[in-house]
Amino acid sequence: MIYYLLLPFFSIVLLALQTSLFDLLFLGKIGVEISLVLVVYAGFKLDMVKGGILSFVLGFFLDCITSVVPGLFVFIYLFIFFISKIASFRIYAEGILFIMGFTFLCALAEGAIIVVVYKTLYGINIFHDMSSIFLPQALVVGIISPALFSLFNRLEVFINAGETKSSDRL
Amino acid sequence: MSFFKRYQTIITALILLFISVVVFTLTLKSPKSEMVIFRKIVLETIAPVEGAINAAFEYVGGLWERYIFLVGLEKENRELTSRLSALKEELNSYREINLEYERLRKYIGLEKDIDYPTIAAKVVGRNRPSVFKTILINRGTKDGVSIDCPVVAAEGIAGRVIEVSWNVSKVLLLVDYNSNIDALIQRSRVQGILQGDREGECDLKYVERSEEVKVGDVVVSSGLAGIFPKGLLLGRVRNVQKEKSGLFQRIKVSTEVDVTKLEEMLVILKEKGGSG
Repeated sequence: MIYYLLLPFFSIVLLALQTSLFDLLFLGKIGVEISLVLVVYAGFKLDMVKGGILSFVLGFFLDCITSVVPGLFVFIYLFIFFISKIASFRIYAEGILFIMGFTFLCALAEGAIIVVVYKTLYGINIFHDMSSIFLPQALVVGIISPALFSLFNRLEVFINAGETKSSDRL
Repeated sequence: MSFFKRYQTIITALILLFISVVVFTLTLKSPKSEMVIFRKIVLETIAPVEGAINAAFEYVGGLWERYIFLVGLEKENRELTSRLSALKEELNSYREINLEYERLRKYIGLEKDIDYPTIAAKVVGRNRPSVFKTILINRGTKDGVSIDCPVVAAEGIAGRVIEVSWNVSKVLLLVDYNSNIDALIQRSRVQGILQGDREGECDLKYVERSEEVKVGDVVVSSGLAGIFPKGLLLGRVRNVQKEKSGLFQRIKVSTEVDVTKLEEMLVILKEKGGSG
């Protein structure tokens, strides 16, 4: 229950950090989508309900804050969550290189979906943004993903401990 | 109950996928519909959180610059330097006030030029580098702002409001791919559609090959689409290409407004009655 109560608050703080702190750190040159790494993490480490709702909430919030195409990030994040979930049935996300590579591919997939949506729905070709925006973003996100996986893991342990304590009291 | 438990994973996946597809298609069908309450709440919540985080990091950054670099110096030197930095900070704050005053003076001039009621707004949230070029401003329905209200900076048009909650609005900047503004070449009165391309640049589309367009020509809003008032500055023609085939020219326009440095702006209210 604590998980679901903390989820909106945590998501807002995460997205606010994403749009402000990391913008400062990278001097506004590269967008670092920590929320995407969290969605990949959710696919590998959380169950379908918890991870699915987390991906949905993050996508919805990101849509509200930044997106010009409402509903796009809900769709993308759930898609990436399901891809990660399917991969998790066969692979354990423990190796650093695997986490980096998989997150990199997911970030690229996100870019590809946006390019396809723009082309099919609006007839606008933004393929050139793959190299100027999505590729650097995917590289940075891929590189920092193992550290973020470890951080999310600790956070998950902390929340689980809180949930166990509260259920013990009941 | 046992059925749900057994197929919990698949059912949850299907429900979430169904919701995401419904949300996506509904917003595509009616993109200009009023924001649902949840979207408003998210916008209202994120703006102060983002503002607080930015303020905290600016404070820490200032602290770092002012004090931490001074550790290890002689006491007198430290005192003098801190006095100097205090004076510098004072001077800097005066400069900042002066610059703000200059900017606001321009806006007052601009406000007189615009026949519609306007309200001043500040940027409270900026989008990270992304394909979506949007910003959040500290004005909403309470101030009379509504969807499609034009937003202008001292240099010219900055964009238009695409989502609005009670105290915060999302502005689609003119450099976004989804931004289409009916425009005119000021000199020749040739009409076209100014579509966002990338930071600082737009494409002026649908200008026939036979029309004369020169580099440096000023591009202004035509006022035809009913969103932007006529004659507001958009940018200047940077490059003109006439290809051998095709009906139209390829015209690149540099925007006058630097969207990365927007701080204050005016929102042009559609109806009279806004508090500004």
